[in-house]
Amino acid sequence: MNEMTDVTADPTDHHLIDQFKAGSMEAMEKIVGRYEDRIFTFGLKMCGHLQDAEDIAQETFLNAFRYLKDFREETKLKNWLFMIAARACIRKRRKKKCEPDHEISLDSFVQEDGSAGRYEIPDWSDDPSDNVIRAELKRIIDAAIQTLPQKYKLVFNLRDMEGFSTKETAEILGISAQAVKTRLHRARLFLREEISKRYKEGRSR
Amino acid sequence: MKEECRRDFERISEYLDGELSEDLCRQIEDHLRRCPQCRECVDSLRKSIELCKKAVYEEMGRDARERLRAALRDCFASDRS
Repeated sequence: MNEMTDVTADPTDHHLIDQFKAGSMEAMEKIVGRYEDRIFTFGLKMCGHLQDAEDIAQETFLNAFRYLKDFREETKLKNWLFMIAARACIRKRRKKKCEPDHEISLDSFVQEDGSAGRYEIPDWSDDPSDNVIRAELKRIIDAAIQTLPQKYKLVFNLRDMEGFSTKETAEILGISAQAVKTRLHRARLFLREEISKRYKEGRSR
Repeated sequence: MKEECRRDFERISEYLDGELSEDLCRQIEDHLRRCPQCRECVDSLRKSIELCKKAVYEEMGRDARERLRAALRDCFASDRS
């Protein structure tokens, strides 16, 4: 059975892909315009550096348009772009010869008294006059995300930041749905602890 | 950690994402009503997820956008002229 049978192509993407295949550069730029901020955001959340995020976006679109003529729309264009972007992030990290990923164990979140701990999580203000507070919170959150090991960060960014479903995330990363659920839960527990810790440190300064 | 607390601790995310069966959700909710510690654990996790989602969006700078388009034009325009 084809697991991709429930995929419905976005009509705008479908039209633009057809135009690109027929030679339209304008269609290419329109596709870029639809997805560049999302891919750039993903690259930035994955790598933590503006230049790396720009490289990821360039590599993603260059590869996408190189192979778009063979793209059969068995998966959504957006999901396919994120599949290419995720691979670009993995390659970039490999080139930097970083330390191997460490595993996050559930037991590490159980406190000495056997409880799940207490965490102080700040509120996000939607009031535009709270710009300074929001900038500080965003800095705390972004720094916390950067401390996640890569395989957890990939899942967290796709699921919670980009809003892909468990099934879509599993397809994008080529892992099982169960692995997505396990990694997401551990990533969230890890971030809750990091955000709470960094927020408390910031307030005591 | 009590067995019941541990069992639910492992599946809070699936609970918050609505990925559990009705029976399992009911079982967790029964436990949460009785256990303030786990209730607090679920609430702070929910709050932390929501906070991260609020801080997601980044925008590519104008120069970076232009460099991306220039790289794509260099690569593909010659194939199409």
